[in-house]
Order: sequence, then structure tokens, then C-alpha cells
Amino acid sequence: MHESALARFRSEIRHFYVITIANIVFAALVMAFGISVIVGEAVSMYETFSTAQYVIYSPVVLFIALVAALTGFRWLLTSVRVFEGIEMIKGDLDGMGGEVPDEALTRLIVSMLSHYRDNRATIRTMILVCTLGGICSFLLGLAVSLEHLSVSPDGISFTINNYLVIPFMLLTLGVALVSLASSYYFSRFANVWDERLDEIEESEALLKETLETDRR
Amino acid sequence: MSGRRTAFEIYWEILVFCRTPQSFTAIINRCDLNSKTGQEYLRFLVEKGYIVEVAEGDRIRYVATERAGEYTALFSSLYRKLFDAPPRFKL
Repeated sequence: MHESALARFRSEIRHFYVITIANIVFAALVMAFGISVIVGEAVSMYETFSTAQYVIYSPVVLFIALVAALTGFRWLLTSVRVFEGIEMIKGDLDGMGGEVPDEALTRLIVSMLSHYRDNRATIRTMILVCTLGGICSFLLGLAVSLEHLSVSPDGISFTINNYLVIPFMLLTLGVALVSLASSYYFSRFANVWDERLDEIEESEALLKETLETDRR
Repeated sequence: MSGRRTAFEIYWEILVFCRTPQSFTAIINRCDLNSKTGQEYLRFLVEKGYIVEVAEGDRIRYVATERAGEYTALFSSLYRKLFDAPPRFKL
């Protein structure tokens, strides 16, 4: 029983660790992407109002970039908080090598449960932020790729800058896919750990009974 | 070990740590407790006969009794049981 519990615990911790790292990387990418577009838009705004050149900045792109930068920043902070705890648990587990005594495994499970209890709300937020981050980066890629967009009673017309479409679409598609995959795995992990917390709550009656039986 | 733990998890930690005689300071440091809550947990365990106080010179040390083994074994089996079944999604 110990071997399978250890193998499952190890596997879950490793996967959770990888997802958290992927989150940190892509949160940083979304933030950087948003900031780079904000800077570009700020330059366009400056040129529009200060030079004779007729340069148009897009408030829509600016707004999406701002949301992406802020979402990325929030996403980064929450990912780092969750990462710190999981890194410590993974470090302890790896440090023990292949042979993990029963007691050490129980201690690591308790650590993981208390880490999850501490970050339950954060992980729930991450599920939402991951989804929002993915959608933002996708919209930003679309908005930046548009060279011209006009909405009139006759319909919507737009032109796309072909040189910008491929790299932006690839980047945004990658970020959006990783965000959605992270969101999916985080929600699955959260459900599993919620069930485990419920299971532990049910077992507490037995622990209480054992602990409070006075047989002296 | 820190973070949000249940009282049962703290009891388990104290009992496992006190397999060898430990001072009060060592217990609260190891189990990440403040001295007030540390005293409460220890008092409960001493009252229930899971821990005994042993005088070593002018110092008091705490040692887990044989009874503690029953609780720690049950606790470990319940927590490891959480991983009996794999998660219902592919990793």
C-alpha cells in the first residue's frame, strides 16, 4: 500500500509542480506582451498629439493590453505563492530518494494538505485568472494583427497585416492553450484535493474517538 | 511544518517528535506553535496519557508513551489511504 501511495503522491506533486512552472512562464509572457503593446500604443499616442504625423492609436488595443498586463501580474503573483510551497514539498520528497519511510510520507501528505488549505482560494482564483489570461492574450493577438477595422450599419470590415498575423497568432494560441490546459488541470487537482479534505474531515471522528478514549 | 493544520495533525506531529525526550522549546519550534497553543496541546496529550513529563535534572522533557503508537499508526494509515485511488483524470 505504501509503495502505490508514494508513487501516486510523487506523480501528483511532479505534475502540479510542472503546471505551476508553466503558469509562471506564461504569466510572465502575458504580462510582457501586454506591457510591450502598452508601450507601443503610448508611443503612437505621443506621435498623434505631438507631431504633424497622423498616427492613430487604438483605445481598444490599449485597454486589452492593460487588462493583459494586470492579469499577467496578478497571475504571476498567485503562481509564485503556490509554487513556493509545492517546491518545498517536492524538494523534501526528492531529497529522500527512492526510499521514503512511512512517517516521512505521512508528513509530506500533511504538508501538502495544509499547503492546499492555505492556498485553496488562491488556486480557485488561478483557475479563473488562467482562463482570463488566455482569452486576453488571444484577443490581444487578434487586435494587434488588425491593420484596419471599421464598424458601420452596413457591416464590419477589416484588413489584417499578414506579416504580423503568423507570429502573433502562434504566440497567442500557445499562451491561450497553456492557460486553458493549466486551468483544466488546476480545477481537476482542486477537486481531487477538496475530496481528500472531505475524506479527512470524515476520518476526524475516528481520530477524535481514538484520541479521547481514556484507558488509563 | 507550518500552514493551516488541524488539531489532529498537530497532535500527530507532537507525538512523532516526542518519541525521543524533547524540551518544550524544541516541540514548539519543530511543530511551529506559539507557546500558549503549545501548552494547550501538550496539556491535552499529558492528560490523556499519550505523553509523560520526565525530569532531567532541573529540566522537564516530554516523551510519548506506548499509547501514542496506536494514534500515530491510525493517523498514518488514514492519510496514506487518501492516495489509494489515483485521481479521476489522466496526468
